[in-house]
Amino acid sequence: MKHEDYKEMIPARALSALDAADDRVLSEHLLQCVDCSRELDDWQAMVVGLAVSADPSEPSTQLRERILAQVRNEARTAVNSNVVPFAPPQRNLWSSFGSLGAIAALLVFAALLVYVVLLWQENRANVNRMALMNKEIQELRSAQDEQSKLKAIELIEMFEAPGAHIAELKATKMAPGAIAKIAYDPTGHAMLITGGLPVLPKDKQYQLWFIVPNKSPMPSKAFSTDVKGRGMVEVEVPAVAMDSGVFAITLEPMGGGSAPTGEIYLRSGI
Amino acid sequence: MQPEQAQPNDVDLLKAIARQDESALAELYDRYRVILFGLLVRILNSREEAEDVLQEVFLQVWRRAADFDENRGRPFTWLVTLARSRGIDRLRSLGARERVAIAGAREPSEEVSDAVADAFKSEQRSLVNTALAQLPDEQKRPLMLAYFEGLTQSEIATKLGAPLGTVKTRMRAGLMKMRELIGNQSASFGF
Repeated sequence: MKHEDYKEMIPARALSALDAADDRVLSEHLLQCVDCSRELDDWQAMVVGLAVSADPSEPSTQLRERILAQVRNEARTAVNSNVVPFAPPQRNLWSSFGSLGAIAALLVFAALLVYVVLLWQENRANVNRMALMNKEIQELRSAQDEQSKLKAIELIEMFEAPGAHIAELKATKMAPGAIAKIAYDPTGHAMLITGGLPVLPKDKQYQLWFIVPNKSPMPSKAFSTDVKGRGMVEVEVPAVAMDSGVFAITLEPMGGGSAPTGEIYLRSGI
Repeated sequence: MQPEQAQPNDVDLLKAIARQDESALAELYDRYRVILFGLLVRILNSREEAEDVLQEVFLQVWRRAADFDENRGRPFTWLVTLARSRGIDRLRSLGARERVAIAGAREPSEEVSDAVADAFKSEQRSLVNTALAQLPDEQKRPLMLAYFEGLTQSEIATKLGAPLGTVKTRMRAGLMKMRELIGNQSASFGF
């Protein structure tokens, strides 16, 4: 809202004629605008002139005395005591109802108190349960972190081990941009790492195969990948495949199979 | 008593009232009872209600005189604002039936003596009434409904069957015109 919009509301405000929403908006503005506050004071002084347009009228002569008597009474009360005295209690039918009401209120209060204690106990138990769960989650996270750390160490050791072999698998037309490496030691213990493979369809997994001349493809493990096509799986390379074998990855039904059925996505020796 | 001559003393009276000086309150009452009562009768159309509210107003002055800030305006403006505000509150607290009855049965004003008439700014009254007479009815009516009946712009629009924007424009135009006609002289009269 522009400053001029506020200014346009000021005369109506001086007449107390603004609707509630406008009045609220202008009030907020007046708190921070000295200029508009002064203008409102000027308008109010002008609007007061309308009061003079009313016909003059004389109140009763008793009114003056009534006002002064009440003022004197207030002044006397203020001087005599700063404490307002309680009226003396009176026993009657209504006060009996008051007593019954007090008893009922006491009973309700007691019931509420018991309820509050029960709620407090339940809340306390919930807090303990949550603390326990948090602790378990932390332990699991720590364990997972530890597991990942161990796996990474194992992977590094495998890549750095004397006599370790590393084979690179390159993408076929089925998975442009994908890549994989398999590292294996002389015993055949191996680790396969992939990246950039297409997102797996439902009920499908990738599977590693060892292909050696004059033999049917030998199945290895089926594995899943994350949304970026990353996967890591520990496998054993058969001795016959270690020197002249080809490693290939295909898309297969969940759990893998004994013979490849899908297209090759990655393979070594390309 | 000439209010314009006594105007500076209004502030002193309020300061004395803030110190719980009863005679100062009595003097302030004597000075402004006629104009404030006239305003309240105009708002409430009932002498009985108006007296009741005027009593409340002067009790409020007694209790809140210390709140008066002479930098924000004149005592007369403060008193009229208090009285109008209380009067409108009373009017709203009355049921619709009473309001209709009141509107249909305006009580005649009690005669006031020449001395009293002099005392409540007959010059200002003449000036304001002359200014109001120069306003077109379409501008004067919304001002009267807002000031004496406490209606908001939306309520006025409904009552007059006019668009809200039109009411806003007319109300603003009417006030601007009034300021033009009496604005320069109102300060010297103590508005």
